[in-house]
Amino acid sequence: MEVNVELLIGTKVRDADGNDVGRIEEFRVERKDNSCTVESYLIGAAGLISRLSAWTLVRPIARALHARKLYYLYDVPWKDMDLSDPKRPKLRIARGDLRHAR
Amino acid sequence: MKKILQLALGVITSVGGFLEIGSVTTAAQAGAQFGYQLLWAILLGTLCLIFLIEMSGRLSAVSKHTIVDAMRERFGFPFFFIVLVGMVIIAFMVLVAELGGIGFGLQILTGVAFPWWAIPVSFVVWLLMWKGSFSLIENGASLLGLVTISFIVSAFKLHPDWSGVASGLVPSIPETDKARHGFLAVSILGASISPYLMYFYSSGAIEDKWDRSYIPINRFIAGFGMTFGGVLSMGVLVVAALALQPKGIQVETFPQAALLMTTALPRWGFYLFAASMIVACFGAALEISLAIAYFFAQGFGWNWSEDLEPSKNSRFAFVYTIIILLAAIPLLLGVDPIKVTMMSMALTSATLPLAIVPFLFLMNDPIYLGKYRNGWISNSVVAVIILISFVLALISIPLQIMGG
Amino acid sequence: MNLVRDVLDKKLIDREDCCMGRVSGLVMHVSESAPPSVTHILVGGPTLWMRVHPFLGRLSKRLATIWGPKRNEPVKIPWSRVETVGRDVKLDVKGKDTGALDWEIWVAQHIIERIPGGGSEEEE
Repeated sequence: MEVNVELLIGTKVRDADGNDVGRIEEFRVERKDNSCTVESYLIGAAGLISRLSAWTLVRPIARALHARKLYYLYDVPWKDMDLSDPKRPKLRIARGDLRHAR
Repeated sequence: MKKILQLALGVITSVGGFLEIGSVTTAAQAGAQFGYQLLWAILLGTLCLIFLIEMSGRLSAVSKHTIVDAMRERFGFPFFFIVLVGMVIIAFMVLVAELGGIGFGLQILTGVAFPWWAIPVSFVVWLLMWKGSFSLIENGASLLGLVTISFIVSAFKLHPDWSGVASGLVPSIPETDKARHGFLAVSILGASISPYLMYFYSSGAIEDKWDRSYIPINRFIAGFGMTFGGVLSMGVLVVAALALQPKGIQVETFPQAALLMTTALPRWGFYLFAASMIVACFGAALEISLAIAYFFAQGFGWNWSEDLEPSKNSRFAFVYTIIILLAAIPLLLGVDPIKVTMMSMALTSATLPLAIVPFLFLMNDPIYLGKYRNGWISNSVVAVIILISFVLALISIPLQIMGG
Repeated sequence: MNLVRDVLDKKLIDREDCCMGRVSGLVMHVSESAPPSVTHILVGGPTLWMRVHPFLGRLSKRLATIWGPKRNEPVKIPWSRVETVGRDVKLDVKGKDTGALDWEIWVAQHIIERIPGGGSEEEE
């Protein structure tokens, strides 16, 4: 199945139980020879900040405001993402089983 | 040594910010009605621009990307599209006003009404862009722009009260006409802190092939260039305060502004004013046309350079051709360029945050700037400018209605 | 490497160092048994407008078939042609052969070159 990456950005993701997890903000990929494979999807506000390369600006502000929510970021391995409906991506696992990304 | 000649980029950029028809008209109105009381607005605009322009040049010199390149790459197309629409609408209005300003200057000299000049003036602006190179435009407009020094000469010849001038550099609130005062302050700031200046300067840095070795000279160019423009704009205000305010002339129409220099320079003032306006508006028209074309080309990833033959960057050439053609139409229909410029200044103020907030992100991007990204001083200045821009955004339209 | 930050919307440079537009979109092949892989880079208007609003995307697709260089499909460049991803995305292709410069050539031939002094987009 073919999916347009640019249309997935910002799409809301739910977990296997139907709970909101966050929005897809970034795709971690590995380049090898002539191919480019997706390793994981980054979901959460921190993914957007990384995408904007804005940590040097946001980190001091987030620290000052104790805005913990800005730091949340899930690193979802490709196996755990179900893109059979690209408009409604969902996880194959529950939110509690997700790994927080650095 | 060659780098110092790049001063021309600073000068032409400041012409577009401080000496175009909107800035001259508002400075003249401000001086005619409130004496020296609004000098602080020009000073504030100058200081803000010095920082913004320096950052624009630094971004381009280090990353070899223009602001628009970086904005599209970081914020994506949907956001870029919003900024594009806002920028094009406002820049188009300013272009109409500048072409009208050239027409007004010619009207003063020849007596032929400005709508008749719309087509010849647009044609000449277009021809310069079609056949000219970036350095021809940059150096030519800057050299010719030196005629505007006549405003400073006029100011000195009228022997201003320097302590009054100094006190005008400090913000104050008048006893009467507060709305009008506020409107003019907002207009002056909107006329000077125009995002298209930043886009133009950053593109010019790429056209002139700047690299990291230009970072020190960039500071000097931004400082000198914007100070040049700011001081000239203050000169206009001081001359209006001394020549027009005592006579109760309010500068409601452009021809009244022509009386600016006749008190100080009775023989030549009239012609110098007209020549100054023609040259300054010409430079501004070139700058804005280029800024619009740069915005499209860089945002969409087309080939672009004023140094290339038009067919080698056809879409870039097409954009400036179409935009100049369209800008002549309102003038042909007799639309008043002064009204257009006043509206454009209020809209610029209203949409300033859209340009400055993303810029703050870009100037802190370690991938584009590495160790040259903003320090805490620059970030604080931009934060203050963002605050000013939000205040302007909130009050500009109401003030336009109340005091415009 | 991060796809959105490092590839999407970046400038595309061909093997002759010519600018051939920007990465408007990326096609990813998804399957159950293997990691998704990026197969193509998309260039062009309809892909871009689709990101703003689906209606604009469909309208742009329609218009693309009836004016200018008339394309029915977006410009698709295989990922295998990507040489380097850095400040820009460098491709091992000739821009003119991909269709990414069709509009540039069309505007040059139909409008710019018809105006005196416009020059010729063909190399001497």
